Amino acid sequence: MRKLRLPLVLFVILLLLPAAALAKVGAPLVSTDWLQKNLENPRLVVLDVRKVEEYKAGHIPNAVNAFYGAWAVKRGELLNELPAIDELFDTIGGAGIDADSLVVVVGKTTTVPDQFDMTRVAWTLKYAGVANVAVLDGGQNKWVKDGKAVSTDAVRAKAKAYRGKINRGLFVNKDYVLKSLGKAVILDVRAPDFYEGKQKLPFVQKAGRIKGAVNLPVGQLFTPEGLYKDQAALAALATTAVGADKSREIIAYCDTGKTCTAWAFILTDMLGYENVKIYDGSAMEWLKDPDAPAEP
Amino acid sequence: MYRGYLIDKALIGTDVHLKAGCVSCHRGDHRAATREEAHKGLVSRPSDNIETCAPCHKQISANYAKSLHYTTIGQRNGVIKRMSPEEVKQFDAKAFEQSCRSCHASCGGCHVKAPPVGGIGIGLIKGHKFVKRDEGKTCAFCHGGRVYTEYTGEYGGRADVHYQKGKMCVDCHSKEEMHGDGNLYLSKNDVKTRPACKNCHELGKESKLTARLSHRNHRGKVSCYGCHSAGEYRNCSDCHVETHSQAKPGFALGLSRDGKTLTTLRLIPTIRDTFKAVGIKMEQYDALPNYWDTPAHNIRKRTARTRSCDACHVEGKGFLQKEKLIKDGSKANEKLIVKPKPLSR
Repeated sequence: MRKLRLPLVLFVILLLLPAAALAKVGAPLVSTDWLQKNLENPRLVVLDVRKVEEYKAGHIPNAVNAFYGAWAVKRGELLNELPAIDELFDTIGGAGIDADSLVVVVGKTTTVPDQFDMTRVAWTLKYAGVANVAVLDGGQNKWVKDGKAVSTDAVRAKAKAYRGKINRGLFVNKDYVLKSLGKAVILDVRAPDFYEGKQKLPFVQKAGRIKGAVNLPVGQLFTPEGLYKDQAALAALATTAVGADKSREIIAYCDTGKTCTAWAFILTDMLGYENVKIYDGSAMEWLKDPDAPAEP
Repeated sequence: MYRGYLIDKALIGTDVHLKAGCVSCHRGDHRAATREEAHKGLVSRPSDNIETCAPCHKQISANYAKSLHYTTIGQRNGVIKRMSPEEVKQFDAKAFEQSCRSCHASCGGCHVKAPPVGGIGIGLIKGHKFVKRDEGKTCAFCHGGRVYTEYTGEYGGRADVHYQKGKMCVDCHSKEEMHGDGNLYLSKNDVKTRPACKNCHELGKESKLTARLSHRNHRGKVSCYGCHSAGEYRNCSDCHVETHSQAKPGFALGLSRDGKTLTTLRLIPTIRDTFKAVGIKMEQYDALPNYWDTPAHNIRKRTARTRSCDACHVEGKGFLQKEKLIKDGSKANEKLIVKPKPLSR
């Protein structure tokens, strides 16, 4: 019996190796080369969040489609809000994702706002209890640019009943932000002109920022080629803006609650900040409220 | 350089439509030495004339000539009931051809070049390839003001669950519906091949008891849209021949044209002076209401009304009310108002 035990243990170790190597996607960003090499991993779900017609015109082989509108909805006047929990769970389960899946979110990067569909979905998945989530650096555009294979065969995901543990702390509301002023780091990720109150988007009531917010624009995340900068460069930017204390609470916001997920995702999953939250209502909600402290 | 109008050279030798040369459809003179001479007699939209496609696609062309997509007769019949016989003649002469009929779909408008809307188009669908379907570049343009953006959620609501699950227009709207089935219908409501929810969703086979009961209790009383439309959709109003219409989101529940079913209603843009500029008063304007049944393309399994009986039976959310009807609207509007029935608890 003892003679049998060692080969058995070795066999089990060998069996678990691919899963162990991918027990966590590792970095929150994966490259097109990494994804190509790992496409056959049975625990990997490549989640294409582009529009259905874009997906059908050509997608990464084995990618399933659950487009962005299923992950972020309009509620009242506010854009990019969380869907109801049961609807969110339906979407996750419908894409064949469970809490142990390794998910790589793929979107397009044709325009600047497109870039952030991926991180908003990744952050929402984390909120829903899916721990191992990454985004494809450069998205579908980079995949195509690199000349990698695309498929036009729509993949029918093996739907599951998803039951994850909600991480409620990842999204906060206006009342929470109000109570956190002067305590947490309020991180405005919009471009400097918006942070300084020189510009505003049409659907934001007035120009300005949450009182006391610091600025770390999302534009600084990327290289001129549209890929994320390396970890050292991003860490330096983050330390300058929000400090080096990884345990301090950080509440990120933007105009609608979408672009701020990019910095939140990088701060948390790449740089190890432990207490990062998103203010979902963002400037759309805050700057509409005359009683909410704003500046300049 | 914008490549929307460039023909993919590789198709010229391979696509059966292009093998016969450009002149077989577009006319002109391919032997001419100058551009001007080559373009003499050029036909830019050959399939505006169905006979161009008919020699090879005989049955489809014959059916299509009678289809609502080609005749656009549904638009005419939707408005002439408000007019006197004399006004109808005026409408046909001064408005229908110039306005409604001008946007009929040709074969090429769906299979070769995306239809221009308001004079703006994206050009060829795929380098002049004859494509079977590409709804995002074809249906989406003509039906993009209301249906398509509602379906994808881009209008600002929630996307239709069928879109979320990868269904595009042709997955529900059959080829026969698109091309016509050979019958000359006067309205889309008469088309026998229209999609119906029950074609896929058989009542009585729901997995949840609450869904089975709910469907059984509302059967024949409320349309599927009445409960499963996710919320606001685009409502157009204030249309004038010269200035077109205004649009804003809205949601209304009221009586269907069948006179017995509660369903989603959409404000239509025709108002009393829509055709004033061409001298048509619409003497029988009140014959039709301003709110029409609408198959809202924003279907969700769960909505405010499926989550709570009180949404309709206590709060009456979204129900058409007298005080909310459009000003100076049709007298027929009031007949659409339905009072929600209280629950017997």
